[in-house]
Amino acid sequence: MALQEFLDQLEQLVSEAETNFGAAESTDALEEARIEFLGAKNGKLKAVQKLMGTVEKQDKPVAGKTFNETKGRIESAFEVAHARIQGDGSDTESDSQFDPSLPGSGFKIGRVHPITQTIEELKDIMGRLGFSTVDGPEIEDDWHNFVALNIPDDHPARDPLENFYLATAEANSGEKNPVGLLLRSQTSTVQIRVMEKTKPPIRIISLGRVYRPDTADATHYPMFHQIEGLMIDTNVTMADLKSVLRLFATSYLGDDVTIRFRPSFFPFTEPSVEADYYWNGQWIEFGGAGMVDPNVLTAVGYDPEEVTGFAFGLGVERLCMRRHGITDIREFYKNDVRFLAQF
Amino acid sequence: MLVSWNWLKQYVALDMDREELENRLAMSGLNHEGTETVFDDLAIDLEVTSNRPDCLGHIGVAREIAVLYNLPLSIPTPAPIATGPDVNADFSLTIESPELCPRYTGRIIRGVTIGESPAWMQEQLRTVFAPISKDWKPVNNVVDITNYVLMECGQPLHAFDLAKLQGQQIIVRAAHDGEEFEAIDHHTYQLTPDMCVIADANRPVAIAGVMGSADSEVSDSTVDVLIESAAFSSMATRATSRALNLHSPASYRFERALDPEGIEWAANRACELVLEHCGGTLDEGWLDAGATAWSPEPVIMRLSQVERILGISIDREEVKRILLALGNTETASDDVSLTVTPPTWRRDLAREADLLEEIARIHGYEKIPEDVGVPMAASFKSDWDRVAAKLRTTMTAIGFDESLTASVVPNEWTQVYSPWSEKAPLRTASPMLKGADALRTSLVPSLLEVRRINQSLANPNVELFETAKIYLPQDEGLPQEQWTLGITSGQGFGHLKGVIETVLQAFKIEGQLEVDSTSQDLLHADYSTSLKLNGEHFGFLGEVNTAGLKSFSLRNPATVAEIRMDLLVQHATLIPQHSQLSNFPATTRDLNIVLSETVRWDALAATIRNAVEASLLEDITYQETYRDPDRDGADVKRVLFTVKLRRTDQTMTSEEADAVRSQIVAAIEAELGGKLLG
Repeated sequence: MALQEFLDQLEQLVSEAETNFGAAESTDALEEARIEFLGAKNGKLKAVQKLMGTVEKQDKPVAGKTFNETKGRIESAFEVAHARIQGDGSDTESDSQFDPSLPGSGFKIGRVHPITQTIEELKDIMGRLGFSTVDGPEIEDDWHNFVALNIPDDHPARDPLENFYLATAEANSGEKNPVGLLLRSQTSTVQIRVMEKTKPPIRIISLGRVYRPDTADATHYPMFHQIEGLMIDTNVTMADLKSVLRLFATSYLGDDVTIRFRPSFFPFTEPSVEADYYWNGQWIEFGGAGMVDPNVLTAVGYDPEEVTGFAFGLGVERLCMRRHGITDIREFYKNDVRFLAQF
Repeated sequence: MLVSWNWLKQYVALDMDREELENRLAMSGLNHEGTETVFDDLAIDLEVTSNRPDCLGHIGVAREIAVLYNLPLSIPTPAPIATGPDVNADFSLTIESPELCPRYTGRIIRGVTIGESPAWMQEQLRTVFAPISKDWKPVNNVVDITNYVLMECGQPLHAFDLAKLQGQQIIVRAAHDGEEFEAIDHHTYQLTPDMCVIADANRPVAIAGVMGSADSEVSDSTVDVLIESAAFSSMATRATSRALNLHSPASYRFERALDPEGIEWAANRACELVLEHCGGTLDEGWLDAGATAWSPEPVIMRLSQVERILGISIDREEVKRILLALGNTETASDDVSLTVTPPTWRRDLAREADLLEEIARIHGYEKIPEDVGVPMAASFKSDWDRVAAKLRTTMTAIGFDESLTASVVPNEWTQVYSPWSEKAPLRTASPMLKGADALRTSLVPSLLEVRRINQSLANPNVELFETAKIYLPQDEGLPQEQWTLGITSGQGFGHLKGVIETVLQAFKIEGQLEVDSTSQDLLHADYSTSLKLNGEHFGFLGEVNTAGLKSFSLRNPATVAEIRMDLLVQHATLIPQHSQLSNFPATTRDLNIVLSETVRWDALAATIRNAVEASLLEDITYQETYRDPDRDGADVKRVLFTVKLRRTDQTMTSEEADAVRSQIVAAIEAELGGKLLG
């Protein structure tokens, strides 16, 4: 017998059995149907099983497998019909071997890295405050990382020892890297790129990896993540900055907080402040902030007499460490799966 | 910057509560780091930002206090009396490197008596030096005086023993390459031509702005002294200090923009103190060369800008009081603005914005409200963000942890595996982490390193992904930064291919995923593939070979894949559309086909798809492949699969399904030479 013919018979048997079991309205009728299909001596299933002997040898594995499936389907159709006729009756039978305290079938789920979780939360909050996320290159030129950000040539922030400049010549291959490129030391570079292409109003956050030469220890790593916000419009003041930061911190911490400004110094903002929030009885550093320096507005082609704006920046690692009680920043980049599984 | 409480009292009355003062200083720009008792004085540690070198001396801090508390500030006006001969008569001064030293001055005091400095001076110096240098001791009266004036006004000074200066001259010049120099700390330094030295006729006697030489310092036998007060290039000083790893209170200050007027004040102050405490006579006149080319320009402060930027209004009188108390002088004003000339010690004040900051910080940032109504605005989530978020959800749902690894890797890694680019990777001038100076061109080596770390921690089940950029060098300009999904698994090729297919399903990407063999040194010769999505290069997938595992010290099998995220964004269906579902049952047909080993599944599936009307064929499910060479011959396999058929307008009959099956069989036979079994 051809395999396909055999398989077709099985399929037909299932549908016949389902119809018959489904039609049975009494225990007796169902028993009759059971004997017809599943009867040990003359049941239809038994009859089909005998046909398996005529299937070609090479088709036996498939035929056998399908037969067993078919048997299972017919049996479960019977169980369904039986339960229907018995009402609750069949559920009252006791299974003394059942241990409900055994663990269920497990599923392994993966974890999103805690840094990403923090970033996503910060993005969500800022999104609710009207700030859209923008992305930009990690390898930057002098203009976007320094000049446009009002960082003059003699500023210490340009020191080769404070930055990862790209090597200008490849010793082995002789290929040359473009001069003056570096791994961005802040995500403000992206803000410059957005402002160069977009007219105000602007409400964005830029975030991602930034790089500064620090020796890796418990609190420093030469690569870390920053999130920076920028709002530019015709009438943006420092009170707007403080209010946005308060809403941001309140959203993040889940309770009303207050914000404090301490003077600071950043080349791209004037005035520049460190923002702290008051939480659990103490002031905690939030990040740097300030009003966008008129030189920066001019550098991107805005008129500082027309528009004003604020910017702020936070270190993601520090927020994440504080929130989750992580004491060593290097854990983030070791990727011990037991560490990742904690979040 | 440590300041002495007793010292500050010389310039401003400190009747306020100390802690309140510390807090107000912190809130106005001098962050309070701590306070410690030094004998009967207090050392207050204040953090001074790099734009405020004026606060690197007690007078500057006292001025801040006077402004904050509206108190009078009393600063000495040094006027040393010169009774000696003309200093220029038998001593010369030349600046050969004006770019390194814009101005140099010197005064000579002859016949000093070296001894101990007065007790009050020693005590005040002790307060500001002892907490940071446990073995700090006073030196002698002349040296202590130069340090005292340094800590008083922030202008560094240096005193030379005049008798040790050869040739009756000072030459300010660039160091000679390889020139050796023994500093006061008795270490010998090798100098380079980008460093500035103070030299006599024959040799350097000081590294400009950093440290003097051991053999020209003022000692017990010194009789005549030359006191140097100068301006040095901040960039050059910083570079020198860094290069030699030699940092001093002087170099710390010269690295910043100091008060050009401070040069003369400090020299006069030191001379006055030397004459008072060490005796001697001051030569008439100055050794003086060069000039500081900077002088403050008037700045117009429009009063309307206060509210425009700060968001609060401040009285004209208060604005004026703050600006004048800080040392600005009012040069002109009208109804809407004040015009002031900033003091020379505040080179950071050159624009209206700079003055605004002064007004804000002295008036108090606490007066700026934190509850104004910021207008609402719509924010937009980019397709990229939506795809990245869904990708993470999908990957974690199927059991993969997200890892984050460094962007800069050891160069060897880029040689082991760099399928995206044949160009040499970009390198950083200095390594980011030990031995890591290559911008990675693949995420795979980083992920394999994470496998190794987890292996060393005896962690089973290392299933990881990362979404990050790789940096592909271009012929010129910025490199291409390619967002890439990297995946590594301990399971086999099929598993990881299933992961990629699942990702495509998650995004409802209908396109064809094509697989071609590719040769990669890291990967097993057979299980190494290049992926295409809708004909575009999409990524790589393969099993790491034995040598590859060995190079990452891995004991267990590893499979790796990388795909381009931009193609996911391009092809993802982010807003899926509903289509009417058929209410009629589906029917299936199993087929067992014998065909040549050379026919790949994708060819077979394509043949099936082409053979059947698309609206009828709901799905093709691969079941298994097995081989029976005895019956079928060599290089032949049997492929079992199921087709699921359904009509949208009525139930498909058994005959119709059989007819479709026959079409499929006929097509396979015609196009691929395969035969239905049984």
